[in-house]
Formats: sequence, C-alpha cells, structure tokens
Amino acid sequence: MRLRAEYSVGSDLRFLSTLDMMKLMARTLRRARIPFALSEGFNPHIRLSLGTVLPVGLWSKREYFDLELEQEMSCSEFVEKMNLTLPPDVKIIACIQIAATIPALMNSINCACYSFVVRKPVEEMEQWKDIVLQRDDLIVKSRGKKKDLDKNLRPGILKIEVNRWQNFAIIDIWGSIGEPLNVRYDELTELLVLTGINKEDILDVYRSGNYIRVKDKIFTPLEKVK
Amino acid sequence: MKDRLFRDILPQVSKPARYTGGEVNMIKKDWEGAQAKMVFAFPDVYEVGMSHIGGKILYGLVNEKSNHLMERSFAPWPDLEEVMRRENIPLYSLESFRPLGDFDVVGFSLQYELSITNVLNMLDLSGIPLWSSERGKGCPLVIAGGPVVFNPEPFAEFFDAFLIGDGEEVTLEFLDCVYKNREMERNELLLKLAQIEGVYIPALYQVEYKDDDTIKKMSPLVREAPIKVRRRVIEDLDQAYYPDKPIVPYMDIVHDRAVLEVMRGCQRSCRFCHAGMVYRPVRERSVGTLKKQAAAQLASTGYEEISLASLSTLDYSGVSPLVKDLVKEYGPQGTGVSLPSLRVDAFSIDLANEVQKVRKTTLTLAPEAGTQRLRDIINKNISDEQLFSAVEAAFKSGWNSLKLYFMIGLPGETEADLDGTIELIRKVKAIGDQYSRRPVEIRASLASFVPKAHTPFQWRAQNSIEELDKKRRYMMREKHRRIKLSFHDSETSYLEGVIARGDRRLAAAIYKAWEKGCKFDGWSEYFHFDHWIEALQECNIDPDFYNLRRRNYEEVFPWDFIETGIDREYLIEENERAEKGISTPDCRQEGCRDCGVCMALGVDLQIKEGYSVAVES
Repeated sequence: MRLRAEYSVGSDLRFLSTLDMMKLMARTLRRARIPFALSEGFNPHIRLSLGTVLPVGLWSKREYFDLELEQEMSCSEFVEKMNLTLPPDVKIIACIQIAATIPALMNSINCACYSFVVRKPVEEMEQWKDIVLQRDDLIVKSRGKKKDLDKNLRPGILKIEVNRWQNFAIIDIWGSIGEPLNVRYDELTELLVLTGINKEDILDVYRSGNYIRVKDKIFTPLEKVK
Repeated sequence: MKDRLFRDILPQVSKPARYTGGEVNMIKKDWEGAQAKMVFAFPDVYEVGMSHIGGKILYGLVNEKSNHLMERSFAPWPDLEEVMRRENIPLYSLESFRPLGDFDVVGFSLQYELSITNVLNMLDLSGIPLWSSERGKGCPLVIAGGPVVFNPEPFAEFFDAFLIGDGEEVTLEFLDCVYKNREMERNELLLKLAQIEGVYIPALYQVEYKDDDTIKKMSPLVREAPIKVRRRVIEDLDQAYYPDKPIVPYMDIVHDRAVLEVMRGCQRSCRFCHAGMVYRPVRERSVGTLKKQAAAQLASTGYEEISLASLSTLDYSGVSPLVKDLVKEYGPQGTGVSLPSLRVDAFSIDLANEVQKVRKTTLTLAPEAGTQRLRDIINKNISDEQLFSAVEAAFKSGWNSLKLYFMIGLPGETEADLDGTIELIRKVKAIGDQYSRRPVEIRASLASFVPKAHTPFQWRAQNSIEELDKKRRYMMREKHRRIKLSFHDSETSYLEGVIARGDRRLAAAIYKAWEKGCKFDGWSEYFHFDHWIEALQECNIDPDFYNLRRRNYEEVFPWDFIETGIDREYLIEENERAEKGISTPDCRQEGCRDCGVCMALGVDLQIKEGYSVAVES
C-alpha cells in the first residue's frame, strides 16, 4: 500500500535539512508504530521518499512525502497516529492512497510557491507586480551551481499574487523547479530587493506549496495522482 | 530572545539546528515552580555533547526524579560566537533560552583535558567571572564532573566545586543542599557543600610546594573540608536511574542512536587506562533490566539502532543472550544493534556476526601494542594467537576491512616493538588476503600514550614531542599497500599530558592561553600549540616538569587527596610488575588482586548473568 501525505513545517523547525526531516519522519513512523515497508539489503531503510528539498531556513505550509506500508491502514488512522507523535511544529494535513504506478514526487514536482511577507501597502505591491511581470528579463546573481553568474529568473516566474495580511502584503511567487530553470527563494529575495523593496521590510519568507505543472495548469501533488 | 535568534542570528551561522532546542523528549520545566536551577554545560559542540551518555542520565534524573530543573547548553561554534559577541547575546540554555547567569548552578562535564578553554569561553560568553574568587552574590555556582576531575587541580581556581565519581549518586544531594541553603552567603554554602561526600571545594584547601617545585603538602583550611575527597559510587547499577526517554536530536550527532549502559567499570587492569582504574569495580545490569530499557527507549525515540555501551562490552556476562534477544526482537523492524568496541578473540567476532545480520558495522580491534613483551608491560592480556584467530574469524565471515588501535610512546617501548606493530599489521592483512576475494584494507590508528593520574603509570615520563615524531617517521619510512597508519598529533598529546598530571599553578597559563584565543583545542583546525607554549612561558611554567619527568614513589601528587578507592600500594605493585614485564589477570577470573576498591568503598563486583559465563567468555 502506498500513501502520499501533505504536511506543514513550522517556524521552529525551519533550520532542519532534508536529511534531518527524513530522519524525523522515519523516527516518528517507528514511534507511532506505523506498519512501514522496509527496503531489502544490508542496510534496510523505511521506504519513505520526500518531495523537493525545503531550503534550510524556511518553514513551509505544504510539503509532501510518499510512503510504502507493509500492511493496510486507513489514511485517517495514519494521520491521527502521526499527528499524535510528531513534534508540535510538524503536522500531517492530508493523506491519500496512491497507485504504485504514480511517479515519485521528486520526478514530478516542478514548481513551488514562495511567500514573502512585506511591510508595504498592498496597492503598492500590486503595482510592483505588474511592473515585474511586464519585464522581459529579471536578472539576479545565481546562488546555485553557477554561483555569482547572472541568471534571468523571468522565464521561471509563472505567477505572482499579492494578498493582504493584517497591515502587510503577502507576495506569493510561483517559480519553476529543477531543469531547465530552478528558481531559488534566495534569488527571489534578491529580486525583491533589486526591484525596490528594502530587505528590512521583508518580514518573513516561507514556502506555501509544491506543485506539478502540466502545460499551463498547476496541480497539487495530491490532485495529480490519477 | 528566541525570536531574535531565529529571525536575525541563526540564519547567519553554519548548522543552526545546533542552537534551536525543542527536540523530541526535551523537558522544559516550569521555571518558577522548580527548586534549584541547573544548566548542564558541555564544553564542545552540540553534536559531541548530545552523544554523551552521562549527560542524558543526569538530565533525565534531575528533571524526572526531583523538583529541581536541568537545562542544556553547548559551546557555540566560532561563527556563532562571533555574532554573539558582536550583537551582545549571552550564551543561553536550549530549553528556556535563558542566559547561563540566570541559573543557580552551571555544571560542566569535563571529558577531555583540553576542553577547559571552551569552559572559560562559555563562562565569558555568559558574562560569568572566570575565576571562582571573583564570583560573588548572585553568580551561579560553577561546578564540574566527569573523568577529568579525578585530577581537578589544574582547574581548581576556575570552579566553585567538583563532583567526584558517579554523577547520579551525588547530583541530587548537591542540588538539595543548594536549594535548602539558598538564603545563605556563598562562603557558608560552600562549607555546607564541602560536607557532602564526593564534593570537592577547591577554595577550602591550600597547597605548599618544595624548592624542587613538587608538592610539600595539601591541606584543608577549615575543619568542614575533608582531608581526602572520596569518589561517589553507585553500588547497584541495576537499580540505578537510567533514562527511558532520551532526547532525540533533529540534526546528525556523533552517536545518533539509543544507548544501553550494560555495565560500569572494567577490571582488565590495563596499566595505561584511566577509566579502568577510576570506575572500579565492575557493576553490571541484568539482561532483564536492559531489555526493558531497550524497549522503552526505542518506543520513545524511534531510533533505528541501539548500542551496547561500556568500557568493555564483550566482557559483560550477559552480552551473548542480550545481543541475540535484541536482534531477534527488533531486527525485523530494521533496528540494528551495535557493539562499540570488540574484544580481541573469536567469541567477539561471532557476536559481531550476530549483529551484522541486521546492519553492517565497522570492525575495530585494539591490540594496543605490537609485541607480546610490550603487551605484558601494559597488561593488555591478549596473545598473537588470539588476535590472529579473531582476525581469521572476521575475514572468513565476510568483512573486508579492519581497523586496529595501537599506542606509541608506551613505557619500555623499543624500536623492535615499533617493528613488531608493523609486522603484526602486515600479518593481519595477509590473513585477510587469504580469505577475501580482493585485497583487504587495514587502517591502524596510533595514539600517543599519555600517562594519567591514578594509574600505575602515573610515575612514568611521557615521550617528548621529538621522540613521538621520530617514532612516527620511523614507522612511516616504508609504505605498504592498503595499510593506512594514522597518528595522533604529538603536540596535542604533549599538552594533554601536561594538564593530566598538572597542579594548581597551571591555571594562570590556561587563562592566558584562552586570552590568546585558544578554544576548541581538541579540534585540530583550532589547536594553536604556539599560543599554549607562549602562555606557559609568560607564566614561567616549564611544561616538561609535568610530563617528561619520571617521578619517585615518595612524591606527593596534586591528585593524591582524591580517593578513588584504589590503594597506592596496588598501583606501585602494578608499576613494578610492568617494569619486570609480568602481566596481571582480571580479578573476575583469577581472584581478587587486592586493588582495594571493594573494601574502601564498601562495594562489590556485580556479575549478573553468572560468574562462569564471565570467566569463560
């Protein structure tokens, strides 16, 4: 039986690496006595795979993992047992059973949304959004493999939304992940700064979701399982 | 404080997960409701400190079994230290994010001589005065425990108190006394604490020296301070507290697994071994207790590995049934068992095979010396035949690499012994090549021998840096394919030796070395030997006095007032036997050797799973 779960990572755990998160989940599965399946071989490990890497320093509203079980278990029971056992800053939000043929998260997630909480009027940020989206190129310094080379983020920016939260604006930016263009959150932060937003006015950054984009449609990994 | 750390400070540093706390099974007690408030301070980084069993025991004990409170703090890595100093952030505890100065007691665990500079650095980062004499009203009591405090004298002036011996035996009594007398003046409180067995208050003693710089006399200044401080010892380890819910760190730590302490103490009587002398006698836990502890720990942590710890786990009388039962019970869930060190014999290898059914582990054997003659001198009672049969068993059952531990600079060591070590390694490799399809790889680690207080070799001279380097060059002169030798740094070993048998006068130099920027001295990238030498020179201290000198039996040692329970006569006899190259058997096998511990401390050998088992295996 194969499960896909959606979970959140709170602010207190934002400094965990993907490996740390993997261990946290594996140990929670053991503590919660979930009937997980093990791999074969000299070093058997739980058949658990996490979606895309959550960058160290970010918390997230929606992350994903796939898990194989050795015995049947209802999704609701799984969620309940896990949530009783997980540290307070991680919560399973939803869980569905998926077919063995569904491609792994790693190979299907190709887009993520990063959210910036900004101390600016929403109206001003709406204007900012229009200007940014009209530009043909948005050049920042690359933070990834080709460090410090100029990198044009524009083709990788799929959508921007501005919302109000208390006295602040939340800018949601959907960016492509992986090949051919990987948009990183720290590059987006630089973009904000280069386009007139003071660093001190960026109060928080988090990831609000991971998605599977097919042509122009964006699905969550829980939707795209058929 | 926490918000600022998480938002502004931690994103700037490497491995921020070291500094966030909030792990699974962390205990955060109500501050106002707690009686005495103690912080367990470990003078190394989080991943080293969190691997230490003693800390897990004390943390659980204080928080679960008393109304006192214990939180944790570790040495910040230099990148965070820099930010903390720049931004004026004091060193804080991981539970409540309070500065260390808010606690009643700051308790350091001293596992290693050179961690003292980190102690000073942590105090400084907390805004607590470094010298005990400068700490007054409102300052926490700064105390220390751990193996290093069996010679606390080099650190005497930095600490208000030392706790000598098994921590779970004395810590609660200490905290009760601190809490009960909380209204008392600091000096009066220290007099009270001095009367607890196992507590040493250095300010209550004076030391007089002879013209030749050796000690004339050490004596208490007040009648409340005992002439000798006797170490505390757990009589019945099987009944002693052990945590069922240890903290599970989020980040990778050095020993990231559940741990069972199968026994405490070892009486193989290796003459170089400090732990083997100061933690006597052997006290075992029963297999029943250990299985219960394993079940509880795995249920509360979700660890995928459980380690059987002790000074010599293969000597535990119940090791065979315990390992088999654990593998049977937890193997199907992919939970492995690990044995930290193996004894050099075929029985050990069989057991290692049992363990390997679940998870492949590294195989490590410790012959310590390359020739029978030298092994007799240090009383490492294994023969070439035992070693070869162990090695043969290992390679036969499929291992294709092996790690061997040796020491250089041992008393009585000659060039022939160094040749013998190389020869031994080559023979081991040849045996491996016979059984393995491809050539095997042998890694040998060569530590420098450092004579330690309270051991039969406490009268011996240590090899100089030049001697050690010469021996290293000699052994490295020929390269051997697939044999890798790694040597400990001789300068580090030299300094360890100075402090290990040092006295109160070293404090000034330790302070100066810290002022010059020394910290993380156990980490080669931060070890500055030149700073240490300058510091010693500026204080007019000749370090050779402490470790290159052969001492005579009449000399009074700085650590003589600490009573480990072992007779001085026994140590002298063992040193004499070493001189003659005569080995001494384990008292479990051939009867009492009269080391004095059981008599002096009113304790006994505790062999849980049958004496015959212990003897045979």
